[in-house]
Amino acid sequence: MSTSPDHLNAGTPIKASDGFIGLPRSWRKRAIILVRLMSGAALVVAALVTPGFLTATSILSLLTTIPFIGCVAVGMTFITLSGNIMSFCLGATLSATTIVFMASVPIGLAGALVLAFLFSVLVTGAQGWMVGYFRANPIIVSMAVLALIYGFVTLFTGGRGIYPAGTETDILKGRIGWVPIPLAAFMVTVVLGQFLLSYTRFGRNVFMVGSNYRAALAAGIPAWRTITGAYIVAGLFTAVSAVLMAARYASGDMEHGLGYDYHAISAVVVGGNAIGGGQGSVVRTLLGTVIISILRGMLLLWGFSTQMQYLTTGIVVFGVIMLHSLGETR
Amino acid sequence: MSASRTYREGAAQAAPKGDGASPAAIVEVTNLCKDFGAVSALRNVSIDIAPGEVRAICGENGAGKSTLVKILTGVYRPDAGSIKVAGQPCEISSPKMAQELGIALVAQELSLCPDLSVEANIWLGSVKVPLFHQRARFTQRAREALDLLGATRISLDTPVRQLGMGQRQLVEIARLLTRDARVLILDEPTATLSDIEIERIFSALVAIKQQGRSIIYITHRLAEVFQICDTVTVLRNGELIETRPVAGLDRKILIEMMLGRSFVEVYPEPITIRGEAALVVDGLSIPGSVSNFNVSAPRGTITCIAGQVGSGAVDVIDALAGLVYNASGRVSVNGVPVLLGSAVRALESDIMFISGDRAEEGIFRHLSVFDNLVATRLGSFSTLGMLRRAGLKATARNLAEQVGIDRRRLSSLADELSGGNQQKLAFGRCIGNRKSGVLVMNEPTRGIDVGARAEIYRIMRAFCAQGYTLIMTTNDLEETIGLADIIVTMYRGKLVGRYNRHEVDMHRLISDITHPVVVPAA
Repeated sequence: MSTSPDHLNAGTPIKASDGFIGLPRSWRKRAIILVRLMSGAALVVAALVTPGFLTATSILSLLTTIPFIGCVAVGMTFITLSGNIMSFCLGATLSATTIVFMASVPIGLAGALVLAFLFSVLVTGAQGWMVGYFRANPIIVSMAVLALIYGFVTLFTGGRGIYPAGTETDILKGRIGWVPIPLAAFMVTVVLGQFLLSYTRFGRNVFMVGSNYRAALAAGIPAWRTITGAYIVAGLFTAVSAVLMAARYASGDMEHGLGYDYHAISAVVVGGNAIGGGQGSVVRTLLGTVIISILRGMLLLWGFSTQMQYLTTGIVVFGVIMLHSLGETR
Repeated sequence: MSASRTYREGAAQAAPKGDGASPAAIVEVTNLCKDFGAVSALRNVSIDIAPGEVRAICGENGAGKSTLVKILTGVYRPDAGSIKVAGQPCEISSPKMAQELGIALVAQELSLCPDLSVEANIWLGSVKVPLFHQRARFTQRAREALDLLGATRISLDTPVRQLGMGQRQLVEIARLLTRDARVLILDEPTATLSDIEIERIFSALVAIKQQGRSIIYITHRLAEVFQICDTVTVLRNGELIETRPVAGLDRKILIEMMLGRSFVEVYPEPITIRGEAALVVDGLSIPGSVSNFNVSAPRGTITCIAGQVGSGAVDVIDALAGLVYNASGRVSVNGVPVLLGSAVRALESDIMFISGDRAEEGIFRHLSVFDNLVATRLGSFSTLGMLRRAGLKATARNLAEQVGIDRRRLSSLADELSGGNQQKLAFGRCIGNRKSGVLVMNEPTRGIDVGARAEIYRIMRAFCAQGYTLIMTTNDLEETIGLADIIVTMYRGKLVGRYNRHEVDMHRLISDITHPVVVPAA
C-alpha cells in the first residue's frame, strides 16, 4: 500500500499496555504462575519422599500407564482446542475399538489394525460432523454417542469380552530396542499431534475455529471441516491407545476404557489448555498426563484405594479450573 | 449535526460553572489519583458537577475516562484525592455505596433480565421494596418513572425481551430513577442504538436534567457532545486538560484538546473515481430483512449504506460476505458472478469481510497478532497442508508495517491491543496478494476513538488507492457524510436513495432512513 507507515504510526503511539487493567491482571497472572510452580514442586517433593517411588518397578509401571491415558488425552486436546470442550465418549470408543480390533484379528493383524482405526475414526468423525455442521452441543452429542456405543456393543457381544486364542497381537507388547512399543507409540503421537497443531494449515485452523467460531467463518476458514477433522484426529489417537491396550490384555472388553475419558479430561485441564478452546498445546497435555499419572502412582504406593485416587484427581482438576477462572476474571 | 435539535438550548437551568469548588456542586472530585503499577491512570483530576448539569467526558481510549467512572461508582478506590457528594466528604468503597449516594451507572451492556417484565426489572434488587408491600404503589412509581422519560408506550407487563435496545435503555434509566439516582453516568449509551432511538434517549435525558439530576455523559461521538451536553471535561493520558462550557467550543478545538496536537482532517480526501463498476449487486433479497437491493460501486470508492438498526443495511453486508445462507440475487465482482451463501466462496471471489464487532466475529482474541494477520492466507503458504513458517513470518511483518502495527507486537495476544489496533489487524488481513478486491465492512469504527479512527480512514483510502472497492455500514451519519463517495440509504429492507459525495446533507439522510415518518412505540 502506498500509505507510509510513519504517517500511520503518528496517530496513536503503541503503548506498553493498552487499557488500565493491564498491570493488575499480570500480577494476578504472576500469582497464578507462582501457585502452579509451587504445586509442581510440591508434587515432585511428595513423589520423592514416597517410599518406593524411585524404584525401577514403579517408574516402569508409570511408563506403561502413561501411554494409554496419554494418547486419548492428546486426542481430547484437539476436541478441546477446536472449541468443543470435551467428549465424554472417548473411553467408550476406546473400549469398543479394542473389541473391534480383537474380533477382527482372525483376518490378520494388518487388516485388524485398519478396521480398528477405521471404526474409531468413524465414531468420532460422525460426532465431529454433527457438532461442526449442525452446531449440535458437543457435550450432549458425546453423551448420546456414549449411550449408542454401549448399546450397540453389548447388543452384539452380549456384554462379554473377546479373547482370541492366537498370539498375533503380542508383537505390540514388544520393545523397539529399549523402548516398549506403547511408549514409542505415545511419543510418536505427541510429536505428530504437536506437529499437526503448529506446522499445518489444519492445526492453525483448529486454533482459529476454537478461538472464535464466527470470526473463523468470516475469515473464510472451513469451520465444520476443521471441527470434523479435530474429532477425526481424536479418534485416530484413541485408536492407537485401544490397539495397544487390547494387545496388552490380549482381549477386547468394554471394561478397558472405563474412566479413560475422565483421565484424559483431567490431563487436558491440568496441563493448562483453555477449556473454552483456542489456547493450548499437545505439550501441555503431555505435562498434564505426567502429573496425573505421577499423582495416581503415588497414591497407589501410599496404599490408597481407587476411590481415593478418583477423589484426589477430582480435587486437583477442581483446583486447576478454579485457578484458571481466577486468571480469566478481570 | 446541523439537522438535529440541539437539546442543550432546551433547558437553560444549568448554568455552566467555572472552576473552583462551588458549594452547590452535587459531586465534587478533588485531586484524584489512581495508579496501576507503574502506569498512572489518573493524575490530580478535579471536577465538580452541578445539579442539572450534563457533563461530557471526552478523551481517547486510555485517557482515564473509565477509571474515573469506576472510582465514582465504587469499583476502584482512588490512591489519593477526595470526593464530596452533595457537600459531604465520602469514601465510595463499593458499588452498593455508590448507589446509596445516588450515583448510578447506565452500563454499555445493560443489566436487565430479558425474561422478566419491565416492572419486575425496574424493582429488581431494589432495597426500597419491603417483603410485604402494596404492589399498586410500586407499580405507580415505576409508571411515573417511565412516563417522565417519555416512554409512555412501554407497558409494565411486557417482557424486556420484546423491547428494542433503545427502549431497554429507557427501562434501565427508569430503574435508576426509582432508586433516586442524583447523578447518572452514561457510558456510550448510543453505541448500539438507531438514530430515532437516540433522539428518544436524548429527550429522556432532558427530562431528567430538568428535575435537577446531573448526567455524566461519555461518548466517542463528538456530535453528541454538542447536541446535549452543557460542559465538557477533556482527559488525556490520565490528566485533566480542561473543563469548558460547550457553547463557544467547536469540533476542531475539542478534537485538538483530546489529541493534544493539531488535527488536520479526520476524513481524508477521496481519490478520483476510476469509472468502471467493480461491485454490482442486483436484486439482492433476504427473506424477512432485505428485498430487491441494488447497488453498483466503482473501483476505488467507498460506499456507505445508511440505515437504522433493522433497516437491512447490516444484512446486506453480511450477505455479501457470504454469511447469510438464504440470500438470493445477482452479485458480481469485476464482472465475475459471485455465489452467495458461503464465506469461503466469497473470499475466493475477492470479497473480504471486516466486522465492527471485533470480539464476536472480527479477531481471534486469544491468538497472537501474527496468527490474526495471516489467518486468511494460510492456503497460499502451505504445501500439502504443511505451512511454510518463514514465508508467513515475513508476510506478517510486512502486513503489520503496512497497517501501522509495531512489528515487535507480532507475538503478543490480539486481546492486549486497543480497539483501533485490533481493527488494523482485520484490515491487515485483507491486504492482498489479490489486487482490486472488495472490502465489505460492518461499522468498522465501532468503539474506536477519534485519533485511531482517522488512521482507520486513512487505511481505507489507501485500500481505495490500491484499486479496492469498499462498501460499509455505519451508525454514525456524520461518518457517512464525511467518508463516503457514494451513499445509499435504506429503510425497512428497501433501498430509498442513492447519492454521490456532496449531493446529500444530514437532513436528507435522516428523513430517508426514518422515512416514512412513522414513530414506533416507545
